[in-house]
Amino acid sequence: MPPFRSGLLKRKSGSKETKSSTTEKAPDQSDEGSGDEDLIPGELNGEDDATDSEHEDEGAATSDQEQDEVLFDDSADSTFGDDEQVDNESEASSELTDSEEESDDENEESGDENDDSSESVKSDEESVDSGAESAAAQTPSGVSDASDTEKKNPKQKSRKVKQSKAKSETTEASIDRLADTIRQTNVKTQPVEQKDEYESGDTSDEEDRRTTVGDVPMWWYNEYPHVGYDLDGRRLLRPPQRDHIDDFLKKCEDPDFWRTVRDPNTGQDVVLSKQDLELIRRLREGHVPDPTHDEYQPWIEWFSREVMATPLRAFPEHKRSFLPSRSEQQQIGRIVHALKMGWTKTRKQLAEERRKKREKKFYNLWGSTEADAAQRGLQRHIPAPRRALPGHAESYNPPPEYLLDKHEMKEWDKLSETPWKRKYTFLPTRHASLRAVPAYERFTRERFLRCLDLYLAPRAIKMRLTITANDLVPKLPSPRDLQPFPTTEVLQFKGHTGLVRSVDFDPSGQYIVSGGDDGTVRVWESSTGRCLRTLRVGEGEAGGEGVGVARVAWGPSEALALLGAAVGRRLLLLAPGAGVVPARVADRTDRLLEAAPPQHDVTVDARTASCAQWQHVAPHEWARGVRLALLHFKPVTHVSWHARGDYVCVTLAEGASRAVVVHQLSRRRSQLPFSRAKGLVQCALFHPTRPLIFVATQRVVRVYDLVKQELVRKLLTGAQWISNMAVHPGGDNLLVCSYDRKCIWFDLELSSKPYQTLRLHGGAVRSVAFHRRYPLFASAGDDTNIVVSHGMVYNDLLQNPLLVPLKQLRAGPRGAELCVLELRWHPAQPWLLAACADSTLRLYA
Amino acid sequence: MSAEIAEVQLQVRFITKQEQYAVPDSPYAIQSNVQSSDLNTLINALLKETNPSIEKTVEFDFLTCGELLCTSLAEHLQDKGVSTEDTLEIEYLERFPAPAPQDCLMHDDWVSTVHAHSNWILSGCYDNSIHIWSTKGQHKLAIPGHTSPVKAVSWVSFNGDQAVFASGSHDQSAMLWVWNVPRNSVDCVVTCRGHEKGVECLAVSADANRFATGSWDNNVCLWSTSLSDEDNVPAKKRSKPEHGNTREPLTTLKGHREAVSGVQWMDFNTVLSSGWDHLLKLWDCELGGIKQELAGNKAFFDVDWSPLNNSIITASADRHIRLYDPRSTDSIVKTTFTSHTGWVQSVRWSKTRDTLFLSAGYDGQVKLWETRRYMPFMYLISTLNSILMSNKANFFGKLPLGIYVVKTIPLILYKILFFFFDSFKL
Repeated sequence: MPPFRSGLLKRKSGSKETKSSTTEKAPDQSDEGSGDEDLIPGELNGEDDATDSEHEDEGAATSDQEQDEVLFDDSADSTFGDDEQVDNESEASSELTDSEEESDDENEESGDENDDSSESVKSDEESVDSGAESAAAQTPSGVSDASDTEKKNPKQKSRKVKQSKAKSETTEASIDRLADTIRQTNVKTQPVEQKDEYESGDTSDEEDRRTTVGDVPMWWYNEYPHVGYDLDGRRLLRPPQRDHIDDFLKKCEDPDFWRTVRDPNTGQDVVLSKQDLELIRRLREGHVPDPTHDEYQPWIEWFSREVMATPLRAFPEHKRSFLPSRSEQQQIGRIVHALKMGWTKTRKQLAEERRKKREKKFYNLWGSTEADAAQRGLQRHIPAPRRALPGHAESYNPPPEYLLDKHEMKEWDKLSETPWKRKYTFLPTRHASLRAVPAYERFTRERFLRCLDLYLAPRAIKMRLTITANDLVPKLPSPRDLQPFPTTEVLQFKGHTGLVRSVDFDPSGQYIVSGGDDGTVRVWESSTGRCLRTLRVGEGEAGGEGVGVARVAWGPSEALALLGAAVGRRLLLLAPGAGVVPARVADRTDRLLEAAPPQHDVTVDARTASCAQWQHVAPHEWARGVRLALLHFKPVTHVSWHARGDYVCVTLAEGASRAVVVHQLSRRRSQLPFSRAKGLVQCALFHPTRPLIFVATQRVVRVYDLVKQELVRKLLTGAQWISNMAVHPGGDNLLVCSYDRKCIWFDLELSSKPYQTLRLHGGAVRSVAFHRRYPLFASAGDDTNIVVSHGMVYNDLLQNPLLVPLKQLRAGPRGAELCVLELRWHPAQPWLLAACADSTLRLYA
Repeated sequence: MSAEIAEVQLQVRFITKQEQYAVPDSPYAIQSNVQSSDLNTLINALLKETNPSIEKTVEFDFLTCGELLCTSLAEHLQDKGVSTEDTLEIEYLERFPAPAPQDCLMHDDWVSTVHAHSNWILSGCYDNSIHIWSTKGQHKLAIPGHTSPVKAVSWVSFNGDQAVFASGSHDQSAMLWVWNVPRNSVDCVVTCRGHEKGVECLAVSADANRFATGSWDNNVCLWSTSLSDEDNVPAKKRSKPEHGNTREPLTTLKGHREAVSGVQWMDFNTVLSSGWDHLLKLWDCELGGIKQELAGNKAFFDVDWSPLNNSIITASADRHIRLYDPRSTDSIVKTTFTSHTGWVQSVRWSKTRDTLFLSAGYDGQVKLWETRRYMPFMYLISTLNSILMSNKANFFGKLPLGIYVVKTIPLILYKILFFFFDSFKL
């Protein structure tokens, strides 16, 4: 703490003491008149002077003792002494003027304050930092001269106390501030000091204590006896450090103590002059330091919006001021680029980088690199094979059956040459207690062998592939996405009394025709199940017993209402009736078929003639609906219409080379397309669009071109016995079913081998059918299930057909080992019709 | 969960539109697990208090959140997502009384169609005949005339003693008949020829001036019902006296790709038709074009439109009955009613109530539905045996409201059963 501070503290304590008295005498203050105004400063000064003079001697005495040590102490004293005189003189001389001057300020500062308080204010202003010093100085004097002062004038005392109080309040802050300013502007203080020195008339060089150390912290010299060097390079010795008592004494005797500050550079005490104080005061009050400066000059607005006749700046603006700066542009460009590239970093990032850079890096002595770990097999650790757990024989107290009896012992001994053949590798031994178990003498060896095993036996991780059966099944679309398809049975058509052999829809889907073993052909309404007509065709033949209807097929032509029915050896072409087909169409059909066309261009060879005969239809048969009748030499098993409705292809059972007969209705002509038998023909179908005929024998399907009269393809089914087949309405796919439970899909574009063989049934498959519009097909046979499948044929040649089995429908009960004899799809709706062995037709939708 | 629901108490307020059954409009606290029968008891008790003149108990139905209460109240509210905190408004209305069999009209063959008007019932039969019955069950006339099964009949007008009706048959013709009631004689006035295949359905317009037929040749034809044939028949046709009076269609509406299964008039200019090609079409009769098209995903078997609620109800080739809005442009099914187990063959709206309709299915059941709930209101006929099949259901045209159900029992009995609601008040 600087010495002037410590003084301050003391003064504070003093002021505190006096405060109490102030409060006590506070009511008197108001009574005090202003008439004593002149007296007080004089008295005060006088007192001060007195005290100062008293103490000065003591101070001189103390300083004398240190004289030899401290070079400038006496000089300092002398200066103080000079200062005192000067100050006293100046104060005395300037007292009046001061008071006059200050009275102005006072009025400004505190209008309500009395005149007597103006003194204190004045002293404040004078002493700036240590205005209260005088008051502090007064206190001891007050104490010492308490008797006379109190006697003289109690009012005076109270005034003094009041003064001191006011001073103490203001000085506390002001001193600090001053000290700071001085410390900061220590250069300024020097000339003040010099000035003082010159004023005192002392012109000795020694007094000009200028340190040449420059702007270095003065604490560097704390440990040295000197505080720097003077202009001549001699050491400036540190002025003697005064303790608090010295300070106190000095305060008591030195009237200028309040304006004495210590120069931190030289350690010298400097007494501030009046000008300095004035300067400080102005600084404190925030005025311009120069007293001559007029703050309230009239303001002249030089730069205004008014255009002057003679402008202040007459030169034109430079061109630069109109052009964008190129250098700035480049600078911004660099910044932007850096921002884009992410080079610029936030302060935080930069700080982090710096911190990282500063961190010490240690070499991880004990760490291991990845490569090393892999090399040592640590990463893919293969555990050692477990040893078998010890059994009962290894127990220290094995059950008696594990102990070797005599016979076994003999064997054990016998195998001593070949110990690996022994039952145990050790001899089971019984011990009374664990305590009695001796040390195992082979322990070390066995440990060693185990380690040797682990070390030498190569171990490898066994990669095991887990493939479940489900993974091998190809991903098929969900049936939910392939709707619509028939799911439930909705109608049963009842009326037949025997097996229903065959069903067919009419081209519009309104009617159904069915034929069965009861010798009837029935026409049904498909939406209601109502039997509209029953044609008894099987009973009339030659008066013999009834013949079942093997096959019915509705003619595809809209203009000609005919349905073909195979009854025994005869193929009958029937009119479904005027109520069923439009009357106009029925009439025309009748008119067409009433009379046979002229036969002059038809030459029938003997072979064909012996095979098929066009019969004359008797009137009673005509009345029953028969329009044409053809008699074959063998029973008819299959009938299929050509798409245009003029040709009917008939398959005869055991017909050998004449098994396939094609009849042309318009010319009443029959043809035998094949001259040689290629096998037992099961069925023959026309291609829906092209002049091709598919002929299925027992194992092979042959495709013939009817125009060129040649074999086009031979499809090897791989089945043992083909039962039936169906051609996709597009014509490029063929579905063949066989008695050995297979459905075989041929893609004719793809190959003559089966594209896919579907084993969906548990019994012989008797019928397959393609839907004309929807990508659906169905198969059924002797088991009670009808399987509906999705069979999508794509126009894209690169994409193979997609076959997805969708639904198993329950057919009716089995009768005579048969269940479903024929399947047909509704031509427009996704409805499936099945001819069942229980003499019903079932419609599924 | 249900136990948790059971503890809730509800604030309910009962309201009704039937003034004679009004109860005080004050909220009641009831347990949430009550059934409609409990509510019924409560309402009857309240009625007894307020109105001692009502002696007999009345059966009520309860309408909450726009739907009839079938389950317990708590479950109903949970389904609807309604808070149990608020006061619930329950509307009650007198229960639609269960129909009772009234009479049995015996036919010789399958009955394919039926239509009733005030006191007279017209039925078409698979033996090519049309029959006229009184609602008392008296057989008036059997009319042979068609050469194929009659598939559609409809009364056209009653004019004093003279009644006019139309019939359509699978013989590709529709006929207009005049029946003289007192003399009980019938005369075929006009034969309408224009379809190439059988006529499947027939509907007479509201002003009875025209009728529409739908046929298997995919066309809908509009015909005039005028009995005089001057301006309708071309000269060359008139010259053939043996055909009687033949008539050609006013308009032929072509657009369906499959058979037309149902046709209905919506107003004097609009015809609604349903087809097996999965389409419902709204036709503009004057322009002869399609106004709007609604697509389903099954073949439609029947369609009906109600002027009371402007909704289309359809029966299609599955178990569901679907409700469409004719104003919607995208074919969105508003509601699906599922209770039948076989194909639904016929649906009819009530002529007097906008929420009632009737359906007949191949499962041998005729059901009366309330559109405000998803289960059928009541079963009219339980399955008698497996070959029973009902294929037409019809509401009686006007008061007294009754239901005609055609039951066709092949080989055993061919009959129409009809039912009356004993105490239906409107």
